[in-house]
Amino acid sequence: MNYLELISHVLPEIAVLVTALVLIGMGCAGGSRGGGKAVLAVTAAGLGLALAAVVFGPESGRLLEGMIVVDALTRLFKAVLLALTLGTALFLFPGGEAGGNEGRGAENSALLLLALLGLLVVVGTENLLLLFVGLELASLALYLMVVFAAPAGRPAEAALRYFFFGSVAAAFLLFGFSFIYGATGSIDLRVIAKVLAAHPVEPILPLGVGLALVGFGFKVAAVPFHLWAPDVYQSAPAPAAGFIASASKVAGFFIVAKVLVLGFGVVEGSADWGAFAMGWAPLVAVLAALSMVVGNLAALAQQSVRRLLAYSGIGHSGFILTALVAANAEAVRAVLFYSVIYGVASLAAFGVAGCVLRARGADRLEDFAGLGRTAPAAAGVLALALLSLAGLPPLVGFFGKFQLFAAALSGGTPGTVPGLLWLVALALLMSAVSLYYYLRVLKQVFFAPAPADAAPTRDTSAGTAVCLVCGSVLVLLGLFPSLVLQPLQRALVQLF
Amino acid sequence: MITLQLVLLVSSALFCLGLAIVLLRRNAIIMLIGIEVMLAAANLNFIAFWRYGAEPGSLTGVVFALFSIAVAAAEAAVGLALILLVYRHFRTIDPGRLPVAHD
Repeated sequence: MNYLELISHVLPEIAVLVTALVLIGMGCAGGSRGGGKAVLAVTAAGLGLALAAVVFGPESGRLLEGMIVVDALTRLFKAVLLALTLGTALFLFPGGEAGGNEGRGAENSALLLLALLGLLVVVGTENLLLLFVGLELASLALYLMVVFAAPAGRPAEAALRYFFFGSVAAAFLLFGFSFIYGATGSIDLRVIAKVLAAHPVEPILPLGVGLALVGFGFKVAAVPFHLWAPDVYQSAPAPAAGFIASASKVAGFFIVAKVLVLGFGVVEGSADWGAFAMGWAPLVAVLAALSMVVGNLAALAQQSVRRLLAYSGIGHSGFILTALVAANAEAVRAVLFYSVIYGVASLAAFGVAGCVLRARGADRLEDFAGLGRTAPAAAGVLALALLSLAGLPPLVGFFGKFQLFAAALSGGTPGTVPGLLWLVALALLMSAVSLYYYLRVLKQVFFAPAPADAAPTRDTSAGTAVCLVCGSVLVLLGLFPSLVLQPLQRALVQLF
Repeated sequence: MITLQLVLLVSSALFCLGLAIVLLRRNAIIMLIGIEVMLAAANLNFIAFWRYGAEPGSLTGVVFALFSIAVAAAEAAVGLALILLVYRHFRTIDPGRLPVAHD
């Protein structure tokens, strides 16, 4: 390995980092006067360069004992993360979330890119050290994004709560990693898998995996590590909340699936009914069941749409973890596919929620009344996003959920009742519950009359474009899911 | 003679102590110290596993500890900034006395 090879493998990350530094420089140089357009141009150019570096970069490679990994799967997910971040950046501008944003656009955008950099590092590594550093970089940037462009008060309180939950989760993760290192003598996932396959499991290993699961549970907002999510989603500026709900969650599920299946596939255990075997699968099954029940039932009682989306996100973590319990190639494919389409749908939903918030000053259900007439495009996209989250055909959410549940049922011995039937039955039930609260929102949007004094819902053209792109992605992928599934399938063949 | 088990006992005690501080104390700065204690416990583990591990020649454990010390410092900086922001607005750093977000 030489430096040229190293640089060519991390070119996307370098592009993002340099762009972030340029933006910080622009902020220091006082790019506040009419700088919004320039900031957006620099951000988009940086993301475009990074995307080009991903697409035209090396196709595979494994440097520094798994610290930097490039293969079809990491390239696909880096591209997805870059696209989601570009969508978020377009929501941020121009003057997007207004409030105290004037003149802070450059720094805010830099924070967004630093968070993205952390996520890119996380996706492109099989090394626990880089995984930890990347997760922390992303988390620290996200804590700040929650307060940065926001009015004083509530967001600061939500950010402080987010910070304490996140830091404790990071400490659990680090403590868990230290036991994993102690039990296997390595922090490279592939070496760990080899060691586990060859030797009997050391008693401290389950402790390590369990502690690490706490950290991951926080990252994907699974019950009981979800308490930060509703406050943060509700109080953060809508673009920041959208990023936390989309890109950050996609990376979270990617890394949970990769660490558990790639590194610890041997100690999976079993969550099958009547055949429990200790391992990480029963723990994940419990997280999944709790998340589905608590997230979906709590969402029923919400009046704030962003809070409702937060609880629905917690429920969706449960659905995704359900498939992960099966832990075969099909399950990983379903998990990754669904996390991507969940990210797209949440980005669109938060975009519309932010646009209503700007126009009417609040995001209670009543504030969405009559949106179908005052802003048909936004209302249509919101309907597509929510119905996709609810899993109605022909939107891609239906196909994604079908895959998740089919994958969960595919485990176990053929010919018998599938062991995970109990979990899938619960998931189907909760899926039906979720339809109710999504329809509550849509009822307001399309059937309630608009208040007479309603301010017209105007949005930036960039924001509208992102919403429309998200909406069309949901429809298009619903009709032709193989557009994403096939590359994903090819990428996973290399992994297993 | 200090054995690995002894170090692990100490680090686990430190971790639980830090967690107890975070959960029980009602002062954000003290809670921040609790988090630092938890991270220190993990660092102690890394050093111990490296020292008593099969190959002390590879410096994995030490490098991990060094990186996590740097991360902990960055985390403390961000945490103090947030605490300052909250104090300026609410004039308190007791998380229990901050207004709870609701609908």
